[in-house]
This record gives sequence, C-alpha cells and structure tokens, in this order.
Amino acid sequence: MFGGGQGAVLSSCETEAGGGVVWRVFQDSVMLIAVSRGGGKEEQVRLRRLLENVWSCMVLVLGQDELVHVKNVERLKKELRSCFSLIDLLLEEKLEGILGSLTHCADSLLPPNASVLQETVDGFARAADSEFGCLIVHGRIASATEKWWRLAPQEVILLSAFVRSLSSSGSASCDYPVFLPQGSPTVAHRLLRFQLLPGADVCVLCGPTPPLHEAEAQLVGRFWSPLVETLRECLALGERCLPGSVTLRPDVLALLLINRETRRSVCCVQMFPHHHTLSKTRRWELLRSFYTFSTSRYFSQEEAACGPPEERALVGDFLQGFSHQPQQCYLVTEECKSFGLQTPQHQLFLLSPPDVPTFALRTVATQTLLLLPLMN
Amino acid sequence: MTGVPHAGSLVVSDWHRCPDSKEYFSKILHKKRRKRFGLLESPVMPPHVPVDTVHYKIFLSGKSGVGKTALAARLAGLNIPTVHHETTGIETTVVYWPVKLRESGRVLFFRLQLWDCGENALRRFDHLLPSCKDQVDAVLFLFSFTDRTSFDDLSNQITKWTESSAGCVKVVVGTKFDLFMHCDVSGREVRDFQEKWSLPVLRTGGEVTDVLGDVAPILNCLSENLWHQDCVTAGSLSRPSQPETTAL
Repeated sequence: MFGGGQGAVLSSCETEAGGGVVWRVFQDSVMLIAVSRGGGKEEQVRLRRLLENVWSCMVLVLGQDELVHVKNVERLKKELRSCFSLIDLLLEEKLEGILGSLTHCADSLLPPNASVLQETVDGFARAADSEFGCLIVHGRIASATEKWWRLAPQEVILLSAFVRSLSSSGSASCDYPVFLPQGSPTVAHRLLRFQLLPGADVCVLCGPTPPLHEAEAQLVGRFWSPLVETLRECLALGERCLPGSVTLRPDVLALLLINRETRRSVCCVQMFPHHHTLSKTRRWELLRSFYTFSTSRYFSQEEAACGPPEERALVGDFLQGFSHQPQQCYLVTEECKSFGLQTPQHQLFLLSPPDVPTFALRTVATQTLLLLPLMN
Repeated sequence: MTGVPHAGSLVVSDWHRCPDSKEYFSKILHKKRRKRFGLLESPVMPPHVPVDTVHYKIFLSGKSGVGKTALAARLAGLNIPTVHHETTGIETTVVYWPVKLRESGRVLFFRLQLWDCGENALRRFDHLLPSCKDQVDAVLFLFSFTDRTSFDDLSNQITKWTESSAGCVKVVVGTKFDLFMHCDVSGREVRDFQEKWSLPVLRTGGEVTDVLGDVAPILNCLSENLWHQDCVTAGSLSRPSQPETTAL
C-alpha cells in the first residue's frame, strides 16, 4: 500500500526459505494470489501464467460481470465452486502430455486421417449453425474449423481443458453457457459437446439454435457414424500424438514442437527402445522445466513482448543485452541433455539421454524437426 | 393417466439376479464395472438375439444441492462426485438397462437419457428449461433426506410439471438416505406423501457395493412406468409405438 501511494507496483516476493508469492488484481475487482515452494525466474513465469489462466477460467464459467460487479460475496463464493474442477486441472498439471496451459499453444494430436476429420468437423459445425467446431481426442485437438483457430490462443486452451473436465465425468452431451475471456467476456455463447466415443468429444460454439436435443438426434449420427473407425484409430494413437508413419530417432526421449504461427503444439514421450531409466512422469517434468528455462532466458515469446509490464520484465536480462535473437540453446544435467531450436515458424524442445555427445544434440534436433509433420 | 402400475406387474423385478439375464447384463458391464458408451455406441447383442432399444428422455428436477448430478452418475455407474458444485449448464447422461417384460417374456434395452441442469443456471439462462422440457418422457423429482426444504418443495414442483407436461411419468427419489444421523424427513412423512400423490417414492445414497443391485430398483421402476405410459398412450397393453431399433 505504501508503494502504491508512491506509484510503485509490487507484484511478487520471495520468502527466505525459497518460496515464491505472486499476485495480480484483475479488473480492479478480484485479486488472485499464487504461492509456491520454488522461487526464481522460471517459477514466476509459471505462476503468472497460472494466475492469468485461473482468472480466465472464472470468466469462462461465470462471466466477467458476475466477477466485477459483485452483489453478494457469499453467493459468488458458492458459484465459484463450479470453476474448481477446471482450476484443479490447471493446478495439478499432472495430466501428462498436456502443456497448453504453460505454452499457451493448443495441445494437438496429428490424426492419421486428417482430411476426412477436417471435412466432417467443418460440415458438422455448419449444420449446427456454427463456425466454431472442434474435435478433441484424449484432451488434444485432433481437428478444428478455421474459425476455432482464430479464437485467442488462451481461449482455445481453456476450452480444451473445459471439454476435458466435462468429458472425464462421463456424461454423453452437454449444453453449457460459456463466456470467452477475450472475445466475449460478458455475453455467453452456448458450448455444445457430444461424447462420440469415450475419450473423443466433438464440440461447437453456437448461438440460440439448434437445441441440444435436435443437434444430438439429427447431426451426431449423420456426420460421425461413418467415422467410428477413424475415431478409434485416433484414440489408439494415445499419448503419442503422432501418426504411426513417423519414426523418431531412438535418442529422443521426449519432445515438444510448437508452431509459432498457428500456436499449436504436439508433444510426446518415447518409451521405446528401453535403454533409459527415466520414468514417463519425470520426462514430462523435465520437458516442462526445460521449456520454461529456455523461454524465460533465451527464446522470447511473442505474447510476453506485448503482455503486461511485469511479464515483459521477466524476459531475460540476457536477451535485453543483445540486438539479435538466440536460435538454439542447450542444457546438460545429470539426468538428460536438452536442446531447444527455433526457426521463424517453429520451436522444438527435446530431451536426449546423457550419453549422447553434446555436439550431436544439434543434429538430433534438426533431423527431428525435418521428420515431423509440421502442422502447417 | 391411469395411475401407476403395481411394482413388478409389467417387468420382472430383480431380473439382474436371474441366470437368463446374464448375457444381456454382460453387455453393459466391463471388468465388473458399468461400461461407458459414447453416443456412437450401444450394447451389441449377437445377431441371433435381436433386441429392440427404446429411447426415453428423463429430466432430473430438484433443489440445488439435492444430488441430481450424483444420481445421474450413480445410475450410469460413473464416478460419483464427492464435493458438491453447481452444474452450470445442461449435462445429459445415457444409461442402458435391459428389462424383461413379464407377460410376453420379451427383452428390451431401455436407453434412458438423463437431463441434469443446475437450478441457478436454469434461472440465469432462459433457453435451458425449454430445452429440458421439450419431448420429455419422465421427470425424476429429487429431494434430500438431509434437507427438509427440498422435501417440502416437492408438491410445488410436481404441480408445476403436471400443468406443463401432462402425460409424463413422475417418480420421486429421496437422496442421501445413508446419512440417517442428519435425517430431516421421517419415514412416516414419506409414506403420507406417497399416499397423497400416489407416486412411486424410492431411496438412494451411500457407497455403491453392488454394481447392478444398487441401481436396479430405480431403473426398473422408471422403465416399468415409462413402458406403462407408452402402453396407455397406445391405447392397449400390447406393444405401443414402433420400436426404435439400434441403428448404430
């Protein structure tokens, strides 16, 4: 408060024991505070993003008006419980292989039969009077209409998370009013979601029509029944997210590929061949922290540059001292070696076993980048 | 309406315990748990055992917090949410349940789609209630044994629905029956209520110990009443409307 009077903004602090506290006030109404055990620059980047995501969750479910013009705090507290399951999804981050809330790039799955799925999603959305349609398999976008990709990246990620939380409850379909945190924070749209197969959901954002019952009875079977086998093939890809035709080099333990233009990402962990002892969970952890490490120090992020001042300040001091952009970076630890690579269109982050010579990492990365379907 | 069928008069109650039901119930089970079906799936019987599937839409009505979402999850054999939070839109859950008709010995799969919507959402967004009411076949009225007001409110709710959706089946379900320490509604009051309205009143709550037995009373009662209603509508006690066969 003292600082505020002097025009200074205090936005975080660290405890002696190395813990971190970060906060932010949204719309002059709600202050969100995040506390974590780890401190440091990487952790701050993560917590800031978390706060922003949590606020957006609250807007998505309740609408901005309810949060800004609070009439009854007790009622709001009760209503906020509806967002808890979604917020838990972001907090836990245990769901392996879903990095969207960190990268703000939509977790995607590259289906073997992409064009058929694309046509069907487009046709289905059109028939439901909507331009926004999306097919989500195992929580990752397998196909979506062009307009869906034009939603704000954060909205795409939150909608995926929302569908994931609805889908995991096992319900067959739903008609939920949702507010788009950036596109439409005060006017609700309808999110219709249909569980085609357990683990595969299609959803559309639409206006007053069609009613849920009608869309389900008339459109779901018509568009999707012929694709049951295709959908099963997508489900069979599982966490690998890549078509079976892509064979990764054996010295890739895990990777994350981001398309910087479309803001989509694929990531996977390669458990075979069995020459390495790192568990799957640990590999996801390492991939996450390497991503945060590289983006907070070397690779600037498009949105961070135009984000709030405190986020801009986090773009490393290293970067500010140079007029050029680093293109590659690596990190060697006892557990593994990590390499990051960026081109104007892509960013690739990968983990290799520690016995791979450091000078070979670049070759591993460039070859892998050439191998991957580039999500154009 | 010609009243409510006597329990067990149209369908075989406790059929899930009979040996001849096994091949049917096995189609809705997977590793001793209830099987999950996407909208593109349904129980598949071998070609020499043709079974018709009849589709129904059921609305869950009741005060906020009585356990509408939990009941839907229970009836479908899904994970029952442990903490209450408001459902902020419509959520539907599909339940497949095989039923044997007493008179003809014929077996049918009932596909019950349960429509659940939070009370606050219904109040806040006008389009949700009409969508729930449209072509509804039955309403499950829920009250909680631990919440007196939810029981007192039943009469109001039933009257409202009787006015707006005349021919639909009505069944009352009391939830959280296991929490007898906090019980707010006595057995006598429930009996009186049942007599006054002549509606079936069922109870549920507690841990699920028997995957089929836990839900059989409610699902059989609901199926029987829906079937009865269809027969009344068709004007005879033979087969009512055209069967909707499994298409997928």
